[in-house]
Amino acid sequence: MRNSKVLMAAITGASLLALAACSQGTTTDPTSASSSSADSGTTTEVTADAPAPFDGPVRIAIVQQSGQGDYFQQYLNGTRQQAAALGVELDVYDAQGDNATQASQLDQAIASGVDGIVVRHGYPDTLCPGVNAAIEKGIPVVIYDVEIQTCAPDAVQTQQSDADMAGLVLDQMLKDIGTDQKVGYVNVAGIAPLDRRDVVWRAALDTNGWQQMFYTGSFTNSTATDTAPMVSSALKSNPDVVAIYAPYDEFTKGTLSALEQNPDIASGIKVYGADISAADIELMTAEGSQWVATGATDPNAIGAAVTRTLFLHMAGELPKGATVDFPPILVTQDFLRQNNIKNMDDLRAAEPALNISDVSGADWIPSVTF
Amino acid sequence: MTGQLSETTTLTRIQDWVVKYGFIAVTVGLFVYFAITEPAFATSSSLFSMLKFASVTAILGLGVTFTMVVGGLDLSIGATAGLAVQLAAMTMVFYNLTGPTAVVAVLLGGLVVGLLNALLIVVFRIPDLLATLGMMFVIQGAKLIPVDGQSVSSGMVLRDGSVAPGSFTPDFLKIDRGFIGPVPLPVVIMLALVALSWFVLSRTTWGRLMYAVGANPEAARLAGVRVGFYHGLAYVISALLASVGGLILVSRIGQGDVNAGSSSLLEAVAVALVGTSVLGMGKPNAWGTLLGALLVGIVLTGLTMKGMQYYHQDTAKGLVVIVALLFSFTLSRKKLRYTPAT
Repeated sequence: MRNSKVLMAAITGASLLALAACSQGTTTDPTSASSSSADSGTTTEVTADAPAPFDGPVRIAIVQQSGQGDYFQQYLNGTRQQAAALGVELDVYDAQGDNATQASQLDQAIASGVDGIVVRHGYPDTLCPGVNAAIEKGIPVVIYDVEIQTCAPDAVQTQQSDADMAGLVLDQMLKDIGTDQKVGYVNVAGIAPLDRRDVVWRAALDTNGWQQMFYTGSFTNSTATDTAPMVSSALKSNPDVVAIYAPYDEFTKGTLSALEQNPDIASGIKVYGADISAADIELMTAEGSQWVATGATDPNAIGAAVTRTLFLHMAGELPKGATVDFPPILVTQDFLRQNNIKNMDDLRAAEPALNISDVSGADWIPSVTF
Repeated sequence: MTGQLSETTTLTRIQDWVVKYGFIAVTVGLFVYFAITEPAFATSSSLFSMLKFASVTAILGLGVTFTMVVGGLDLSIGATAGLAVQLAAMTMVFYNLTGPTAVVAVLLGGLVVGLLNALLIVVFRIPDLLATLGMMFVIQGAKLIPVDGQSVSSGMVLRDGSVAPGSFTPDFLKIDRGFIGPVPLPVVIMLALVALSWFVLSRTTWGRLMYAVGANPEAARLAGVRVGFYHGLAYVISALLASVGGLILVSRIGQGDVNAGSSSLLEAVAVALVGTSVLGMGKPNAWGTLLGALLVGIVLTGLTMKGMQYYHQDTAKGLVVIVALLFSFTLSRKKLRYTPAT
């Protein structure tokens, strides 16, 4: 009896060590994790030798605020594949939404002696000391979508270009409906990317002589469901709008269901949205859909482009404090229908620009395309 | 016959050794293993960031330790830390008061929570787990009311449209970001609180009576101990420790993050449980809790450096707890004095 207990202790101790040892084998190969479920990419040919530090082994880290959800999984997939394409080892620190943990993990990433760090989302106040500490130690840092310019001016800033995303869609809207029209708007204030789209919207209202008849929307855990009744009431009191701009796909979905609930007044109203996903494509191409245009980026491609930006910065080909925007493309309902596009793969095939493989590209970086 | 007897004795001795030092051996073994295989692991900056990472968990774990000593368990500890985060942010950002004022406000808030827990458990005789579970939800909800559910940050727009007047003061941010010599301040705070807790629990009458209350409240009562006082005292200490943990958290985040602290509860309980197995004590103790927090820090840092996926971390934490409990419950020949909360 006692014999077996001692044995058990030995086994548990040994297996704990074995567990630690095993993990090395399974994860130093960064491609193994991505092959399971995510979109696999292909890489472009390189025509030059990689400069220092990429002539030797290189390790980078991504310190992300949260990895949950489809969008962020695709983002990380892009990051992984781009790192693997250049033979760079990638450590992933995921704070699972906990900001204090993210600050600690940034410290740990610095202490672990990586050669470069990507910091993705989080609070500027939380991340600023760590980002500056890394730069002081000579570790290049690339930030994605954290407003940290003022306190960490030496970090390289990247973001999806929300201004372009709004601009492309609103130009299309102008083409479709012309100037001096009555329009509706679905958005909320206080969320950074949505605020950036809002700036473009205000400018478009002025230059195009559009009259904003309503401004509504609700950002919650079930944004689409909660936004629908608000848009529905707004429509009832403003049945003469010809177009609605809803610059976030959950708002767009809510707007579409509000239109469905009011078929008598809603027919003929065009809806302009933002973002893209397989579900969004289905909604846009559905019979009688009023969602006519959207602005789109591919999270896989952005995750890869952020990594390339870090490579350029590490190689000294991108200066401290540089800003890199990842441009979106315009996707219209007509385009989707004409090319019989059913999902993201079809869209990528029809619109290679979605890969943004030329952004932060170099002749020594094999760009990943999806 | 004789041979068999002596064999049993040897085995018993090995078993006692394993129970007493096995867990420390596993910790040291893992540390050495990571230090040898990952050159960056045992650097001073890596060790200090690991200690810093462990500090909040360890301090909250101390709070749990106190309540486990009296035979209870404080489930409101993470929420209390979250309340501290919110109180500190509001004091400085909304009311533009100084850092020291914020510290006082936070500790007062913790004191109130502790007294309420004590009231519910001791006076109203609600079982510990249920009272603190209820308190956890009350705090999590109530702390959101004055801030409209928003994270408090300097320069935020208030309900009436004006901009918040204050910001986090530099001296307050030093709580997490400052150093004493080369040692980060939160690590110093952690070590001081561990030493203080050990002293109170093991070297004072108060501490010993707390253990007595936890081991057998009826016997303690018959021996003339004011059981209710010591039971309630543990919850007040626990809430105060949680508030100190919250101070470190908010100073680390630099914002009144509404989600801060919520993930700390289970980790704090886990390290306090791990701590019971250290040195074969089989009872909650301060140094054990510290060792538990360090072991979790070592395992997570080491495995992350080895490239383990982040979503495996909870599994690793769970295994640490289970291995520790094997040492204290399965292997130990001693009858355990830890009585589960009811």
